[in-house]
Amino acid sequence: MNIVTIPLKNMGRKPTKTILLLSVFLLGVISIVALYQVSLVVGHSLEKKLTAFGANIVVKPATETLSVSYGGFHMGDMLLDIKDLQETETTTAIKSIELKDRISVVAPKLVNMFKVDEVAVAAVGVRWEEELGIKSYWATDGAIPEGPDQVLLGALAARTLGLKTGDTLSLKDRDFEITGVLYETGSDDDSVILMDLSTLQQLVAQPEAVSFVEVAALCAGCPIEDIVAQIQTSLPKTSVIALQNVVNQRMSSVRFVQKLALSISLVILVTASAMVGLSMLSAVNERKKDIGILRSLGYGKMRVFMIFCLEAAIIGALAGTIGYLAGYGISLKALEYLSLTEVARPMFSISQLAFCALVFPLITVLSALYPAWKGSSIEPSQALVSL
Amino acid sequence: MLNAENIVKNFPSESGDVAVLKGVSVHLEEGDYVAIVGRSGSGKTTLLNVLSTLVRPDTGLLTYRGTDLTTAAEKQLDTIRKSDFSVIFQFHHLLPYLSVLENTLLPFMGSLRPVPAHLERKALDCLARVGLADKARRLPGNLSGGEQQRVAIARALVKSSKILFADEPTGSLDRNTGEQIMELLAELHDEGLTIVMVTHEPTYAQLARRTIEIEDGGIVH
Repeated sequence: MNIVTIPLKNMGRKPTKTILLLSVFLLGVISIVALYQVSLVVGHSLEKKLTAFGANIVVKPATETLSVSYGGFHMGDMLLDIKDLQETETTTAIKSIELKDRISVVAPKLVNMFKVDEVAVAAVGVRWEEELGIKSYWATDGAIPEGPDQVLLGALAARTLGLKTGDTLSLKDRDFEITGVLYETGSDDDSVILMDLSTLQQLVAQPEAVSFVEVAALCAGCPIEDIVAQIQTSLPKTSVIALQNVVNQRMSSVRFVQKLALSISLVILVTASAMVGLSMLSAVNERKKDIGILRSLGYGKMRVFMIFCLEAAIIGALAGTIGYLAGYGISLKALEYLSLTEVARPMFSISQLAFCALVFPLITVLSALYPAWKGSSIEPSQALVSL
Repeated sequence: MLNAENIVKNFPSESGDVAVLKGVSVHLEEGDYVAIVGRSGSGKTTLLNVLSTLVRPDTGLLTYRGTDLTTAAEKQLDTIRKSDFSVIFQFHHLLPYLSVLENTLLPFMGSLRPVPAHLERKALDCLARVGLADKARRLPGNLSGGEQQRVAIARALVKSSKILFADEPTGSLDRNTGEQIMELLAELHDEGLTIVMVTHEPTYAQLARRTIEIEDGGIVH
């Protein structure tokens, strides 16, 4: 028996009213939790889908640039000491960073120049699986190469070389079957020959060499700068660059979903809080005689204030705890319905549960501050009028 | 013990302030038993409320054991009401959602600290004293009017109040029950409790050691 007994027992006095009030706030909490969980998964899923439209981090060898001029004649910038990256070492290091779960695709590439019928053209060695992971927008008139002796041509390269799907292309006396020509992408891919990375490494006798690595990172859970910093620490002799325009574009889509969920949550929260406040206000008027009895027994204003706040806090704590559990369950069902559970599942977290159990009581107490203050301000003489 | 000097209390009304107490003076000694009598609207309940600190007088001086209560801070009045004064009303003196035992212990439930076990034992003893030992776990709604009045008296006993203020304690009770309550009050007075009671029943007023008759906001006897 203590001061908490008073609001607790009072709530049991009018169970229908208490259940209704609890239900209103509970529905609010359930909606907020479910919206939050669904928006996280939808955002994650959206971001994962967006990774198919390109990488957002590039890892390349560290270089030094020297500006060369002599006798007033500028001869341009020279790159010094360019060393290709080692494929296994680099990709393993990238996949081992602390934020490795945020790495979606690691696509290494080797670029080399060849002459085909006296026409200079660049060949790019790629790992097909990884490459298609960041370039799902590729469309070809044929098929994606599957074997080491097959290549894919960019649209411009095919026109320049006068080659088409099904033709044979010779590079360093080795014949390659053209399995397809890419439809124009408007990117550098249009002017290159795309082939298997291992094949190109053999062809140029540079096993394990890669010119640069493209990385698609998921940035919804952490800033891209953190991922870049961790890769840079793992690979100190490289240059790691975040493609901010890609990151920003991608994150704005993800954030839109989260901002939408936040806005709806705020509206729900304000409505639910207003309901609690209004209900407490009517409770103050109904309980004037209770206040009179308490004041006649020596309960000060603060004690009366505390009783109303405790009542609101109990509603908030119950709604916060039950609401989190129910909201989590509903978000699971909603994601199942949206067929998004394969991409990611909402995370049940004890700390989130504790957060809800603490923050929602705080919100209900804030909603009840005015009614509680009003109740505590009633003078014993005013309250006694109802006795 | 409790002195009221020249107490004036006005209440606002649509036609201006109405003077309910017009310079009333009352002196209470330790162990006193005073009945305040008078017609309806004469100001006897207002006087009781002023004496019990539930209503502040507009002018005049109210002192309790040398302390000026007219200028005392709200907290000081709360402390006195918690420890030394007890008030029982004609109706509605119990919180309907708390058990008889909880209502008896209500003055000690004002903090997060649980009520100590010795006070719970004392409350049960006091309930036994007023004949309600077997109804400690019941809700007030399951008690008769007389029993509810006895719970309020038990609450005053647990507090070891110095003064019991009773506003028409038998007003809502039948004759027999009313007499039982009056007997209980007389017993408590015999044990040293100071009692101030408002009543309109001359028979009950005669049980008090002295009577204050109030009429039109002033003491006439």
